[in-house]
Parts: sequence; C-alpha cells; structure tokens
Amino acid sequence: MSPDSGAAVGTRVTVDAPPELAGWAGAATAIHAIQQMPMPVTLRLHVDGHGVITIDLAFNAYEWSRSLSDFSLTPDSVRVETEPGNPDTPSIDLPGRPLDPLLYAIGWRAFGDEPAPWLVDGHRYRLRRWPSLSELAIGLDEVRMIAMLGNAFATADELAAAAQIPPSDARRLVNALSVAGILRRTATAPALDAEAGSRGGAPASTGLFARLRKKWGR
Amino acid sequence: MEHIILFAGPMGAGKTTAIRSLSETPVISTEAANTDLATADKATTTVAMDYGEIGVTDEEKVRLYGIPGQRRFDFMWRILRDRAEGMVLLVHNDHPDPVNAMREYLIEFADLCQRGGVAIGITRMDVRPGPILTDYTDVLERERPDLMVPVLPVDPRDRGNMEMLLMSLIANIEMRGSYGRVFA
Amino acid sequence: MTVMATRPAVALHKDPFVQDLATTALHDLTDRCPRVRYATVLTEDGFEVDGVPAYEDDRLSSMSSSMQALSEAVARELALGPARCLIVAADAGHIIQLRIPGQQLVLAAVFELDEPLAEALGSCRFAAERFAAALASR
Repeated sequence: MSPDSGAAVGTRVTVDAPPELAGWAGAATAIHAIQQMPMPVTLRLHVDGHGVITIDLAFNAYEWSRSLSDFSLTPDSVRVETEPGNPDTPSIDLPGRPLDPLLYAIGWRAFGDEPAPWLVDGHRYRLRRWPSLSELAIGLDEVRMIAMLGNAFATADELAAAAQIPPSDARRLVNALSVAGILRRTATAPALDAEAGSRGGAPASTGLFARLRKKWGR
Repeated sequence: MEHIILFAGPMGAGKTTAIRSLSETPVISTEAANTDLATADKATTTVAMDYGEIGVTDEEKVRLYGIPGQRRFDFMWRILRDRAEGMVLLVHNDHPDPVNAMREYLIEFADLCQRGGVAIGITRMDVRPGPILTDYTDVLERERPDLMVPVLPVDPRDRGNMEMLLMSLIANIEMRGSYGRVFA
Repeated sequence: MTVMATRPAVALHKDPFVQDLATTALHDLTDRCPRVRYATVLTEDGFEVDGVPAYEDDRLSSMSSSMQALSEAVARELALGPARCLIVAADAGHIIQLRIPGQQLVLAAVFELDEPLAEALGSCRFAAERFAAALASR
C-alpha cells in the first residue's frame, strides 16, 4: 500500500498486496505506513475465514467478533481496506478493544524470523512505553526483552545476545513492537553492552527474575 | 535475602486482594471496620499494613507489603517505602479521578520510583471501561519520560495477572539496574 | 422476606451520642489522672471522635488506629487471645491504648513520664469500661 496512492479524501481504498506482502505482512506494512501519517485513518482487515477486524488508530481501539486466541497464524489472505477517519468521531463503538495485543500479534507473525522491511539495519530501538499485552499469553522471555528495550537502545541481535535467546525471537519481538507503534529508533546510540547484566545487575540466568521464574516453572 | 515490594494505591483498588493472590502464606492484614461509608462503600479498610510473602528459595523471600490507601495513614507510607525495592501501584478505573490518582502516587513515591521501579495495575476496567490504558500511558510518557513503567489491566483476584505484573516490575528493576536509561 | 443491612445514617465519629459519651470517658480519665498530656477516643479506622485537650496534630488517631490493628494482628498470629492493651514506653512519656470493649472504638492516652503506669492503665480501663456500658445502653 502506498500513502501516495492519489485517492481522493473521503474515499475508501482497498489494496491488494503484492505476493511478498500477502497475509499478515501486508496488513503489518499497511498499519506501519498509516501510523506515519498525520491524519486519522480507519483500517478494515478482511481476514480470510475470520471476518473483519476494524481498527480505529485515532482511538487506539479495534472491533472484531473473534477472540485473539482465534488468531490465524497463516491466513490465506488479508485484504486491507482504509478510509479517512475522524478525530472526533470513532468508527467503532467505544471503548472497543485495546490495540496493543492485536498489533503485537500481527507484527509477531507478519515476517517470520526476518526483520520487518522498514527496520533499518544498524538502527537501534527502544520502547516509548510498555506494551499492554494481558490478552496475549506472552512468555517471560518476552517480558524480559521488553524490559531491556524499556531501558536501553538495542538492535534485535544485541537484544538476543543480552537476553540469551534465539535471534529469531528477538526479531519477532522488535517487529511486533514496531507494528504496535511503540518503538523509538536511533542511528546514534552506542551498542548495547550484552555483558552489563553480569556486572552488578541481574544476569538472565541468576537474578531474582530468573529465580522466581524457575520456582514457578515458567 | 529479602526483597520488599510495596503495594500502594487508593482505597478500594484491590491491594489486599492482590497480596492474597500472590502470597504463599496466609496474609497478615490489619483491616478495621470502615466507619465512614459515605466516603467509600467498603466494609473494611487497611489501617496499618498487609503482609504476605513469596518464598523464592530457602534463604530468599519476596515480602509483599500493602499500605493503607487513605492519606491519613501516610506515616505508614513513609515507614515502608524507605525499605522497599519496588512498588506495585494499583488504581481502580472507577475511582473518581484515576489518572490523577496515579499521578499523585507517583509524586508521593518519587524516590522509590527513581531508585527502584514501579509497575501499575489498573483494576476494575470491566466495571468502568474508561479511562482506557493509553489515557494513563500518555500521561506517563508526557510527564515522566524518564520512567519506564509497565501499565497493565489486572484483576487482583487473578494470580496469573498479579504474577505477570510482579514479574514485569522485577524485570524492569533489573534492567534498569543493568542498563540504566540510554538516550540517543 | 429479605432483611437488608442498613448503612448507619451518620459516621461513627460524627454520631452526637457517641461524641457525648466519648467526651465523658475522656473526662473520666483526666479526672483520675491529671498527668494525661493528651487523650483521644478514635474509631478503629482512625477518625477522632473527641480529644482532650484540643490538639492540632490529628495524627494520633491515625497512628493509634495502625498500632491497635498491628498489635491485635500480632496477638492473633501468636494465638495469645484478644489484645487487651498496648503500651509504648518512651523516654519522655507513655502511650496507653485499648479497645472500648465490644466496639469499633479505641481509647488512647499520652501520659507524662511520672504518671505510674499501673495507675494510668487502671484509669484507662475504668474509662473504657464505663464508656462501653454507656454505649450498650443505647
């Protein structure tokens, strides 16, 4: 989807994604592009076999008749429809459902183990705010990585090394947080010190977090 | 080794309930009859502290202290916050002004927030859906950009919810200690 | 038929009947113990019903409420039965407090150092028991 599609204001636009952006990749790319726009936009994601997800970015909410546990890992198609929103009038019945879990789930699945195409190699990322993901059954590895990105800039690979988890998981996390629209990026932050956790802090394997995790078998 | 985590927040937010959900031992509570029902429709209120604990190992405990919500007991806040490593702040969404209540507690416990960490649980979002979560996080981002704060909707009766909030707090405290805040 | 529990029309610490009896109890105490620096009747959740002499710092009610609850909790945890009284012995004076028997009320008094503890405690008990009896007659 291109922001420069030339569609007139007030026009609903449906976009067929190119093959490399099929499924959630197309939806994630559309969401990311729209998040860069100053004007409010409503998206409708027609998820093959799973109904329509209506997203009102201006009001940070969405509507969908299904549970996120019904979230299809690989839908056959996701058709993206957009229309200009209204900053004063929601396009869904408020309060709707909070966006973080939906956007996170889309971002996690959209690009497999690869970074999202808009993420620049060498740039580092940090959270603007903590994501609210109560609706999702995220694991404690993700919680720990989220905490790292809340307190330091890092690339996905630096995050993986510091958290002692596979790079693919770190890339998915960065993708997910980016689609959720809560990452800040920089080209100038120093490299994350992967050893910092072992010096006076709490290493992944031995801090209170790790000990509680072990106790609770998670 | 002990780790002290404070549970703070306005009266009725669910602090005592949250500690009961997490504690492995019977909670020692100091509930008194609420004689001022006009102010809060609640049969009892905490007047000193609640105490619960999680045994991490044979030699390590996480001690959970719940403080009274009313300001007339703020001397208890001062006694307990000096010993705490971190704080779980619970705010109920049907509070008359929940976002401002959050703000006031963050000011009151500024030192603890700065040196340790805070995680915020918004309770009773099923009772009153607004404010929405971004109403809280927007204020935090605007007024306290130095403070990375987990803000999660929680049901204090749900052990899973409370474990996630507690683990988010502990992860944040550890990462803050390891990496500080590196800004571009 | 369902019997609905009714909320009291007025908060306990604002109830004129309770206030009058509290005033009487406090005078009972100060008449017997002239070396009372300050005495108060408070609700168990920390609201002052009355205090003598008039006192600007109202923290004593809140602090006494906390101490009462903590002491009762400790006695309960140690299976010692109901806590009868709490005594704080400090360099410059003593605090004695005890629950008005059967009520959501506490009597707390700060005594000068030279007031013998046994007399202070006895006077507090006397005042508390008379207060309880008067409340029961309502």
